[in-house]
Amino acid sequence: MLTMQDVAASYRGLKALQGISLEVGRGEIVAVVGANGAGKSTLLKAIAGQVATEGTILFDGASLAGVPPHMIARRGVGLVPEGRKLFPRLTVEDNLRLGAYAKRGDPNRFAPLELVFQLFPRLAERLSQRAETLSGGEQQMLAIGRALMTQPRLLMLDEPSQGIMPKLVDDILAAVSRIRDLGVTVLLVEQRLVEALEIADRAYVLQTGRIVMQGAAKDIAADGAVRRAYLGM
Amino acid sequence: MPVAEILQVAAGGLLMGLIYALVAAGLSLIFGLMDVVNFAHGELMMLAMYAVFAIWQLTGADPLLLLPVVAVLLFGLGMAIYRGLIARALSVQFNRGMVQIFVTFGLAIFIRGAAQFVWGGEFRSVTGHWLADRSLNLGGVFLPLPQVAASLVCLAAFAGLLMVSRTEFGKALEATREDRDAVALIGIDRDRIFAMGWGLGAGAVGIAGVMLAGFYYVGPNVGASFAVIAYVTVALGGFGSMLGALVAGVLIGEVEAFTAALWEPSLKQVGVFAVYLLVLTFRPRGLFGKM
Repeated sequence: MLTMQDVAASYRGLKALQGISLEVGRGEIVAVVGANGAGKSTLLKAIAGQVATEGTILFDGASLAGVPPHMIARRGVGLVPEGRKLFPRLTVEDNLRLGAYAKRGDPNRFAPLELVFQLFPRLAERLSQRAETLSGGEQQMLAIGRALMTQPRLLMLDEPSQGIMPKLVDDILAAVSRIRDLGVTVLLVEQRLVEALEIADRAYVLQTGRIVMQGAAKDIAADGAVRRAYLGM
Repeated sequence: MPVAEILQVAAGGLLMGLIYALVAAGLSLIFGLMDVVNFAHGELMMLAMYAVFAIWQLTGADPLLLLPVVAVLLFGLGMAIYRGLIARALSVQFNRGMVQIFVTFGLAIFIRGAAQFVWGGEFRSVTGHWLADRSLNLGGVFLPLPQVAASLVCLAAFAGLLMVSRTEFGKALEATREDRDAVALIGIDRDRIFAMGWGLGAGAVGIAGVMLAGFYYVGPNVGASFAVIAYVTVALGGFGSMLGALVAGVLIGEVEAFTAALWEPSLKQVGVFAVYLLVLTFRPRGLFGKM
């Protein structure tokens, strides 16, 4: 579904990614793990068209080079960004409905709302609240919900566990698992290695902008050397 | 000052203030959406006034009938200015703030020069239309009909803007204003939203210009004097706030009217700028400003 070949990217004048080759197959959960500053966020931004890249990025066989970010989203690449980037003064409902804005004219465009409320019943209780009044965990749920409203085929999540209560982390990751079960392919960037590798099928380890290891998630999780050498654990 | 005279001055201030409010609303909308101050805002109003004048001179059509035509023309012009100039100015790598100031300022000077070239420097006026020289007598308070019509149309335009803000497009506009990068994540083309914002802003000031042409002189510099008041209005109301523009516009209209009545007509702007200084000193974010 997603293929990256020898991709390089600079972010704020620094080489943030080099020689990245990566594959995400339909229906997989692929995790990208690595220490802070390894380039994990830049990797997702590169796919979403938010940073300039060299090399090849193919989504469903079509190149994403030079495609503006909003068109990449419309092609079916959803990104739940770092820091969530909600619309703070708009209500929960408006945030969700705007996810379907680009599909105006499609009578069924609000259909994913039902799925979002199944995954995150709390959102249904807070529809008329402003997004800025939600807790960190609820904001993360809303960010995922908003991305689901665009009906993505590939959902990318940037550190969904960041800034939320530990007991909610498992809930969020369980929801990610369910989203995959519903047919959405997932590319997950996480600093919480153990939890991310638990739900992932395969994983890539990123260090200073390069992929230093890849394989089945359970193998990487079991490899003590990897954890010490690349993840500082 | 007798009560009748106070009422008369207050009514005059209100009628003018509603026009100021709509001019400011257009400016505030664009600023709130994308942090660009449109220094050519007054010139857009001036163009709308000349459009009325030129079509009236050519066809004898009543200014009120020209309202939808000129509003649509200005909407298109606003979008064209965004696409042709502003989008390019915003794409520069260095000194973006300066570039956007000079681009809109340069545009203002260009439009002013072009108007002078086409229509000359003298004052023109649209006369003999349906409402001209008629007025309403409300228990001794004397209301010229062209100004009554202008203020009613401005109020209606405000209601229109409010309705737009409740639509799905309005929400997308608000979302773009809150986070211009995040909207791309949900497939919204922010360039399109920005262009629509410029269209709406120019359309609003165009409507004000059309109605103003019914009773005010038309000249190459008419926009500049209204623009200065619009900046004060936006600052007083709070940058980006529509309600703020409405309240502040009426306030400014009243301050101006009462300064002229109590002191000296030629000094009416002293009151306006005194208010401006007070706002900047004591409440820099304005009455309804969010930041």
